[in-house]
Amino acid sequence: MGELILEQIINGIIAGSVYALVAAGMTMIFGVLRAINFAHGEYYMLGTFSAWYVISKLGVSYPVSIILGIVMTMAIAAVVGRLVMQHLVTAPFQSGVLATLGLSLILQNAIVLGFGGTYKMFPGGWLSPVFIGDISIAWQRIIILIVTIAMFVALELMVARTRMGRSIRAVSQNIECCAVNGIDVERVVLATFVLGTGLAAMSGVLTGPVNVTIYGGMGEAVTMKTFAVIVMGGMGNVRGTLLAGWILGIAESFVAGFIGLQYRDAVGFVILIAMLMFRPTGLFSLQSRF
Amino acid sequence: MARRVPMLVVVDRGRKAELPPECPLTSMADVVDPEERLMIRYAMTRRLALVAASAFAIIAQAEATAAQDVVKIGVISPNTGAAARYGAFAWRGAQLARDEINAAGGVNGKKIELFQGDSQCNPTEGVSALQRMLSQDKVSYVLGDVCSSVTLALQPMVENANVLLVNPASSNPQITYKAGVGGFKWSYRNYPTDEVRAGVVLKYAAQEKKIKKMAVLSVDSDYGRGAIVLTKKYLAENGVELTSEDYYKDKEADFRPILANIRRSGAGAIIMYGLADTTPIIARQMVEAGLAGKVVLIGSAEFNNPQAIAAAPSALEGAVEAAAWVPEHDTPRNKAFIAAYKAKYAGEEPNIHAYFFWETLRLVGVAAKQAKSEKQDDVRKALATITYDSIMGNVNFDDHNQANLPMILFELVNGKPAIKGTFSTKIIYPK
Repeated sequence: MGELILEQIINGIIAGSVYALVAAGMTMIFGVLRAINFAHGEYYMLGTFSAWYVISKLGVSYPVSIILGIVMTMAIAAVVGRLVMQHLVTAPFQSGVLATLGLSLILQNAIVLGFGGTYKMFPGGWLSPVFIGDISIAWQRIIILIVTIAMFVALELMVARTRMGRSIRAVSQNIECCAVNGIDVERVVLATFVLGTGLAAMSGVLTGPVNVTIYGGMGEAVTMKTFAVIVMGGMGNVRGTLLAGWILGIAESFVAGFIGLQYRDAVGFVILIAMLMFRPTGLFSLQSRF
Repeated sequence: MARRVPMLVVVDRGRKAELPPECPLTSMADVVDPEERLMIRYAMTRRLALVAASAFAIIAQAEATAAQDVVKIGVISPNTGAAARYGAFAWRGAQLARDEINAAGGVNGKKIELFQGDSQCNPTEGVSALQRMLSQDKVSYVLGDVCSSVTLALQPMVENANVLLVNPASSNPQITYKAGVGGFKWSYRNYPTDEVRAGVVLKYAAQEKKIKKMAVLSVDSDYGRGAIVLTKKYLAENGVELTSEDYYKDKEADFRPILANIRRSGAGAIIMYGLADTTPIIARQMVEAGLAGKVVLIGSAEFNNPQAIAAAPSALEGAVEAAAWVPEHDTPRNKAFIAAYKAKYAGEEPNIHAYFFWETLRLVGVAAKQAKSEKQDDVRKALATITYDSIMGNVNFDDHNQANLPMILFELVNGKPAIKGTFSTKIIYPK
């Protein structure tokens, strides 16, 4: 029994790492734009699709496809950022909701139009299992965990130490003051957006081999879970996001393992509702900055 | 058409209000007096509306004449989402049959025209696809859906519209419990039900493979849950004990928590009535969780799909499935069908839904020929008494509008399905 609980915790932490990587980008974008990016899961999907495309059509190896997948997604995000997201800086809140929901539909259906609606099999990855006692786990999942932790350390350093990071924090506090002080707000917004979507793409490329099948609508479920994670972690709080992702992952894993798989997706919604009712500022801060 | 006119004006005013003050006054909108501009705009729109209306009238008339020369058939299947694979095959199978029938002169001299609807394997989407077909395309026949939950939702709708629904792919028994003398007069099914399949699969696994402890992992739908309800009827007589019972959502991608439980439960088989697109995910995660080779999959989720076998050969070895059709069914006519399908679709091997949509469209064509009419009411009556010579044997419909069709039981041996026998689907209807 003890070992089963340990195995479910490991499963949960790895699933949660995937959520956290996606959510970190979403929460940063929310910080600078005050807009929920409803299309965020679509960049997760685009990352996976780009990698699938270069592996199966151009024959590159999986490690190279990770880089290409992220770069291709960031390039698409740069165009979207320039055409849509930058305009949201001064636009009212509702525009952000509509624009990103619209983008989500466009991106999903563009993929369905271009590649068809059927599932594709994701090739590649390091799937041979490693045994830790009685628990077996694929290398790919260990890599997901290591990359997630490394990315969060890098994000913390970037936000605290670099000029870019300081600009992001400044923009998320007061746009007018940034403009007065010579910070190019639109450029910071674009950079944050491209970086955030790059994280989602990375999460997608890394999970491709363990989730096996990919399809146009695969980002939707991820977006829904991301909401629970960013609300739990506190909107705009990068560090809280990682812990929140793990909490959601473990909670889901326990519910699936001990109650029933069919109740798994309810966990995120229950957490979301409970957080909004009792601690709308997130688990880790008493006040919201926004 | 005239109704749209005021709306144009409103849009125009809105745009004016948004112009920034520094914008140079160059467009006509800014030099003409607003009242006058409104008049100009109104006159222009009225003229446009007249032209458009007459154009529509001509097109509508042309369509009405064309409609008399074709038989309109709707194909509803999941083309996006978790069962999109099924829908793609279903649509290609139906198109192949349409081309063959039309090339041979059509149905009583009339060409078949197909309309495609996407149900996404979701009853709500299926119903709106059917509504579109009824109101816009004016179809007389509907083939579909693949997913039982959608078919159950379509049945009352075709009943009200007097459109003939011939289902080629859903296996939940309820569909024909409620048809024929059970109620719905416009629903027929040319596909065997899960009624007998669940028992046969369980019996084979328990007696031939000597597995007594099994776990349930099926899709959370009328199909997946329905098949497990039937399986439970046969547990006691086969001495099988269920260790756990889980149902997955159609887009689930992480089965690790369940597989971890199953590994510790000592179950020797997973009873799975699931979706073909999820089979590779589960199979690959079984390899990862160390279940491959120890636990076999039994039930139905296209275990013989070559892509799934390629994804995780060791997890699918020994899998037992009962299916209404397999490509390995060794008859000349089946080989001819597969060859025709491959020739049309770049060498792709058909699946069960390609076959059944193809065969069912041909069945409708033959019924119309026998009825000497393509009116759906005449065809419906012809179906009740038809003896149709299908690849899988003679098809007759019982008083519940259910076709009697055999099922094939196979086990995967060295990555290839080995046929272990066929059985028929005699159904005992609930009183």
